[in-house]
Amino acid sequence: MKAEVAPSTFPTVWKVLVHSIATRLRVAGLSLLGLGAVALGLAIHLSHSANRPDAAWSLVDSFGLSLLIPVVALVFASAALGDLAEDGTLVYLWLRPLPRWQLALGAFTASVTVVAPVAVLPLVVGAAISGGGWRIAAAAAAGGMLATVAYSAVFCGLGLRVRRALAWGLAYLLIWEQAVARVSRGAARASLFISTRSLAAHVAQHPPPTNAVAWTTGLIFPIVVTIVALFLTARSLDRGEVT
Amino acid sequence: MTSPTITVRQLSKWFGSVVALSDVSFDIGPGVTALLGPNGAGKSTLFRVLCGLANPSQGTVRIFDENPRANPELTRRMGIAPQQERLFERQTILEFVRIAAVLHRIPQPGEAALRAIETVELDPSDPRPLSAYSKGMRQRVKLAQALVNDPDLLVLDEPLEGLDPRQRLRSIELFRRLGDEGKTVIVSSHVLEEVERFGSRILVITQGRLVAEGPFSAIRDLMDDRPHRLRVGTDQPRALAAGLLTTGIVTGARIADNSIEVETSDAPSFRRSIALVARDCEARLTEVRALDDDLESVFAYLVGRK
Repeated sequence: MKAEVAPSTFPTVWKVLVHSIATRLRVAGLSLLGLGAVALGLAIHLSHSANRPDAAWSLVDSFGLSLLIPVVALVFASAALGDLAEDGTLVYLWLRPLPRWQLALGAFTASVTVVAPVAVLPLVVGAAISGGGWRIAAAAAAGGMLATVAYSAVFCGLGLRVRRALAWGLAYLLIWEQAVARVSRGAARASLFISTRSLAAHVAQHPPPTNAVAWTTGLIFPIVVTIVALFLTARSLDRGEVT
Repeated sequence: MTSPTITVRQLSKWFGSVVALSDVSFDIGPGVTALLGPNGAGKSTLFRVLCGLANPSQGTVRIFDENPRANPELTRRMGIAPQQERLFERQTILEFVRIAAVLHRIPQPGEAALRAIETVELDPSDPRPLSAYSKGMRQRVKLAQALVNDPDLLVLDEPLEGLDPRQRLRSIELFRRLGDEGKTVIVSSHVLEEVERFGSRILVITQGRLVAEGPFSAIRDLMDDRPHRLRVGTDQPRALAAGLLTTGIVTGARIADNSIEVETSDAPSFRRSIALVARDCEARLTEVRALDDDLESVFAYLVGRK
């Protein structure tokens, strides 16, 4: 009989966290929101309007990158460590001989794993069937994945550090991302929404939206935010107190 | 002489203006040690600091001569069963305990999980999710995941709560066996009778302070030696109070309708003499009841004494 070899710990951490955040209620509720993107794409396709590319861009920009992906990422990512910290089960991961970065990375990848099929995939499908052209679908994929990665990293840390992370996250999305960054040129440079929509506009070859940043900035800024957020989450797990 | 497994020196922990632990110092070596104290005494906070889950506000904690904070490798030698009931609710018992084994990098995690589950007398093939488990079963699941890595130090927060009498007995036997094998087992409880059965060294903690420590017999003596308040029901309260004061068995008496409340520092002598004094006073006794025999009163006394 073949002896059982010690499995790697990271896939186990990831699996536990995916299992923990992907509750039926959350997946069903947020999939409905995701299916909204498909329905909108279909509606654009059926409209036979000459303005399809603009309508398709609005689907990606005003629905996908403004609402769908940030909200879905907020719900899943803030739960990845936040739920466990809140109900006390984080100790069953924390009190193990694992480097803390593995927990932070596990929560982040678990969130991306769930957000991508629930939010990014329907957005790409909606953009593809809208009739706006393949570039719109590519923009939805690029902007959507980048937003998923960055928001997941930020909201994983938020869930760990604050109570009522959903409320704080929504306040951040509404006030900073959707209000301040839209009107202030300086704030736009520190906005994930402006970054990801700028990159998406570049991919879609759509005219730059208000307060757009260079596409390279739009690509690099979310990556830097992701790395910093993951570092802070790992440090918080290392130095903070675990409930 | 071997160094103790746990060394705590002048440990304090506060949350804002609330002091959870105050200037606590002790050593714990192999064997079973019980941490006794009422709810809210600071036992769980102490456990959290011992496990590295919380920072001391002041003082030091060493586990196997190392700082438990930010030291994940130390958990290889530790098994911890926290007080809270929640587990990974959608997992089965085997999945849950196996996860613990994998994260401890045990070479054969499946076999280790089976062994641990069998040790706590649960069924590893149970297909139900943990959300379907009773409180007592959850306690044993927590114990199984704490045992899966065969730790040198076991920290168990109220592990007997919710267990039926038979399982309590079995668990106590298990803790004693592990202690006899040279492992360090620290168990918290707020039930004095429970702690007595560990046959162990006891640390008494209340209001965040370590108020007594030693073998169970010494703690029991300390508790018996304290002043006691008793209510004596009688049809002749004045005569009986006078009789008791004359004998010197009681240090004070307060008369009420058909009863007196007395204070004595020698409860056994009082119990022996009360019937004789009542007979001499031609008083009929209807009740003799301790007013402060609950554990809270004992702890209050120990705090005052300290």
